[in-house]
Amino acid sequence: MMRFLKSITVERTPPSQPPLGHLETTVMDLLWARGESNVHDVVQRLHRPLAYTTVMTTLDRLFKKGLLDRRKSARAFLYSPRWSRMEWEQKRAGEFVAGFLAGPQPAGELLISCLVDAVGQQDEALLDELEKKIRLRRRELYQRRKP
Amino acid sequence: MTGSYLVRLLCLSMASFFLVHLALGAALSLLAPAAIRLSERFRPQRAVRLLLLLRLTPTGLSLLMVAGLLAPSYLWLEPRATTETVGWVCLAAAALGVAVWSLSITRALRAAGRSLRHIRRCQRTGRQTYLRGETAPVWLMEDPAPLVMLAGVLRSRLVISRKVVSALSAEQLAAVLRHERAHSRSRDNLKRLLVLLAPGILPFFRGFSRLEQAWARVTEWAADDFAVAGDSHRSLTLATALVRVARLGAVPSPPALVTSLMPNGVDLSARVDRLLHFVPSTANPGRLARLLPGGAGVLLATSVIALMAQPGTLRAAHECLEALIR
Repeated sequence: MMRFLKSITVERTPPSQPPLGHLETTVMDLLWARGESNVHDVVQRLHRPLAYTTVMTTLDRLFKKGLLDRRKSARAFLYSPRWSRMEWEQKRAGEFVAGFLAGPQPAGELLISCLVDAVGQQDEALLDELEKKIRLRRRELYQRRKP
Repeated sequence: MTGSYLVRLLCLSMASFFLVHLALGAALSLLAPAAIRLSERFRPQRAVRLLLLLRLTPTGLSLLMVAGLLAPSYLWLEPRATTETVGWVCLAAAALGVAVWSLSITRALRAAGRSLRHIRRCQRTGRQTYLRGETAPVWLMEDPAPLVMLAGVLRSRLVISRKVVSALSAEQLAAVLRHERAHSRSRDNLKRLLVLLAPGILPFFRGFSRLEQAWARVTEWAADDFAVAGDSHRSLTLATALVRVARLGAVPSPPALVTSLMPNGVDLSARVDRLLHFVPSTANPGRLARLLPGGAGVLLATSVIALMAQPGTLRAAHECLEALIR
């Protein structure tokens, strides 16, 4: 009942968070991919061998940070992501940008300049890709014309 | 004929225009995705005609209905000495009709003004010259941006920056100029003006943006097709020219009545891909297929005119006006 009341009164936006650690990110990725899992499932699917208690502590920390929901099934907790990956990434990006822009003016300008550079680099990559396609097509046509 | 009689006619005309246009516009907005999908199956030249015809249909048909049916029925059947008052619904619809027209006319005038200022700036800072293979004069600009634009609604002029002329080979430049000539031949700037003049569904909601974007996209494709003229080598040359111009830097957004080689909102990647997978074809489309968009328009207009010519139609229209005015 309390959980239901909490769920309807709490605004449905991801909470403000410091960046996640490496293991926390891996665990979140796993849960986003697989959905609801218990500690045992997570331990089984991690690419490196980790102690059961380490994973249990990580899941508990993520639950306390408000990133996971959990419910009891038999004697174990089942954890599931509270937010979709998209919601979480959106919130993180928004907070990051807002934090920069709220700072002194040079910080905001620096961020915008970095974003423009990044977009420019992506444009360059796209143009490189298009040029490569044109070269390939030209070669193809040339070979087709050769007797 | 008294002043109040004419004011009532004006009010009814605006109100009925707004209501007919609203119904047709809403129907077209719903049908737009299907129409765009259908146009993708056509060649760009025909798709351009179909999409433009669809975009202008609500305005054209509404004007035809008002000028050819509702206004004549009022003039013929409404007694001159009537003392009827205009109801709130009719007044509100008329006000909305005036608003949609005022906004579209303002938008078109502003775009025409910006386009004119742009041409004047080109004439002031540029130099008129002739490029090899081009019979019409070209305005050569010493602009840091890579400009290739066609400015002017009735008499279009090609504006190109020296940066672009120096960056492209003679063959690539010829392909780019052919592309712009295609826009000039098909009077695309004039068509843009017509699209701007055609009112939106509601005062601050045009409602045809998907159709207009699709039209802008196929307009570029049609100009590309004209420029390559069914030749795969030319097609590669134009694709190379597009990428080379894109590498020269960003182009400032041109005024609405100026056609740019690489307009905003038209995906360069899709355009280049299309040019690379161009299938040379000299086959003419079937006569029936060629006439389809124009034929559909003529058929529609003829049906409306035939309907108007029916003796009972004017009376029925007058009854509708009577219901609207209350």
